[in-house]
Amino acid sequence: MKTIFSAISRFVDRRQSLVFPAPAVIVLFLIVIIPIVFNLYLTFTKWTIGLGQPRFIGFDNFIELFGDERVWNGVKVMVYFSGLSLTLELALGLLIALYFNRAFKGSEIVQAIYIIPFAATPVAVALIWRIMLNPEIGVMNYLLQSVGLPPSLWVSSAAMVIPTLVMVDVWKWTPMITLIVLAGLKSLPHDPYEAARIDGASVLQIFWYITLPLIRPVLIAALMLRSLDNLKEFDIIYTITQGGPGIASETLYLYSYTVGFSFFKAGYGSALMVVVFLIVLVFNVIMNRLRHESQVV
Amino acid sequence: MANVILKNLIKRYGSVTAVDNLNIEIRDREFAVLVGPSGCGKTTALRMIAGLETVTSGDIYIGDTLVNDMAPKDRDIAMVFQNYALYPHMNVRDNLGFGLKMRKFSKTEIDRRVQEAADILGIHDLLERKPKELSGGQRQRVAVGRAIVRKPKVFLFDEPLSNLDAKLRVAMRAEISKLHRRLGATIVYVTHDQVEAMTMADRIFIMHNGTLQQSGMPLDVYNKPANRFVAGFIGSPAMNFIETRLVREKDTWFIASEGFKVRLPEAFYPRVEPYADRPVIFGVRPEDMEEHDPATGSDSGNTLTVQAEVVETLGFEVFVYLTCGPHALVARMEVPKHPLTVGQTLEVDLKMAQIHLFDRETSQTIV
Repeated sequence: MKTIFSAISRFVDRRQSLVFPAPAVIVLFLIVIIPIVFNLYLTFTKWTIGLGQPRFIGFDNFIELFGDERVWNGVKVMVYFSGLSLTLELALGLLIALYFNRAFKGSEIVQAIYIIPFAATPVAVALIWRIMLNPEIGVMNYLLQSVGLPPSLWVSSAAMVIPTLVMVDVWKWTPMITLIVLAGLKSLPHDPYEAARIDGASVLQIFWYITLPLIRPVLIAALMLRSLDNLKEFDIIYTITQGGPGIASETLYLYSYTVGFSFFKAGYGSALMVVVFLIVLVFNVIMNRLRHESQVV
Repeated sequence: MANVILKNLIKRYGSVTAVDNLNIEIRDREFAVLVGPSGCGKTTALRMIAGLETVTSGDIYIGDTLVNDMAPKDRDIAMVFQNYALYPHMNVRDNLGFGLKMRKFSKTEIDRRVQEAADILGIHDLLERKPKELSGGQRQRVAVGRAIVRKPKVFLFDEPLSNLDAKLRVAMRAEISKLHRRLGATIVYVTHDQVEAMTMADRIFIMHNGTLQQSGMPLDVYNKPANRFVAGFIGSPAMNFIETRLVREKDTWFIASEGFKVRLPEAFYPRVEPYADRPVIFGVRPEDMEEHDPATGSDSGNTLTVQAEVVETLGFEVFVYLTCGPHALVARMEVPKHPLTVGQTLEVDLKMAQIHLFDRETSQTIV
């Protein structure tokens, strides 16, 4: 018995670099690596969940995907929704962060209230917005009419659905961008601003020539963080519109969910997921490169 | 070029008075150094000249213009900051040219002036580099360069050398002095380092607790300090102070304390008359003490018997830390012929013409 223990302890001593990380590696392997590999495997199969075994079909899923109109619609909706919401969130987040960056009376309370949407549960937020956006009983049309504007169909109109969802997303997520950018602004060096004032730069010039270049890496980091969620936005869109009306708000991510869990086509759904993954990956690789290039301090 | 006048200048932060009724007139083309310990208000005063701090009350004139409410950019000043304050995302060329660009100078004029500044400061090779790729000394040069391309009326320097190592500081000191002669500009220079003040200034302004203690040419201030603070602040090692009494024995005045008694030169008698038998602070600079030479023989009443505690040899001179009764003194002397040992008793002569006496209550100079 004693010899076994001493043999084990000798092994542990000699292989510390293998033994100590092992539990973490095993858990990671079980809950991350295996599902990913299994997902990749499924992309090369045809398998309806509950009906038989996965059947290997090579690249057929990927070939099918190119001819699928709903895929192209999904990409279009994704670009429209994410392009608009990310741009607005970044711009508004920056502006509001600039506003909060100056000390004013009650700023802490205002900031605390301001971040409530960010702290709220996405599905709860979406449910409330769904009611507010209801063309018949929603408060949004009441507000429009009370200032003399015609009522809108909001998410019931194919033309209005994306701008409306963007509005909800912006309302919910702009505070996150603000928090990140505000932290960045607070860490900026103080001196260059005084130098710029003496050098004769106006407030706008200081923003354009000093603040913006210095805060750029932070802006890009915030964009990356936000894009990880936004490009696969689910809670808000699914809860409010389920991708409708028709497929007017069906992003690629939502479509792959529908394929996998409404049509139970696990193979094709997995292939769509891989495409979403590649889009997110490429976007973030590009952003990360930009971030590195703009890093100065 | 222009003079700078501060009139009854006051700056308060809440209940704290940082600058208290400051009156200074800096002449055109003068190299003026504001010097004092940290918290004395010198940087606040400079920042008010720059327009980075508002004025609580009083007036600031640059040239003939009252600039109290004028934006920094309209004051025609340039400032060199303690931490350089370079724009970290711009290369050296753009850092130098930024102020000109903001003032809508033509591209060719900007290039010409940047080249000119780079020539003066020897930073040609650095023009394409970013600040983080520069050493502290190089950054300092760029910061100075950014000021000189603008050709302002007045240069403001805020402790520009304090982040440099000792050797570089000495070199930059000389360079800034040279630059001043070359540009012929008015310079207001803030430092806590009295050596910088002594070596660079045309006139120095010594501040303490927000008030001006004394102003004048460096040597005048050194030789004739207005009060005990100035006497202790200017000079290194600092002046020795001893709490003493002035005693008259028959017709002779003595400065006396425990284990310490020297005869006051007759020239000072009229001025010490009101202080008879009152406590005064006696001050003597380290270099105004020398080892007693027995060959000179006669006792002129200026010899102290002291003990050497620590001897610091600097090569051409020594600092000797002495005790004289309960009093600690520092003497700065030539390297003695016979090496001093710790604990050794020796006799030192004070150069009595150079001594100082201060009023114990007001700290003002008596002689």
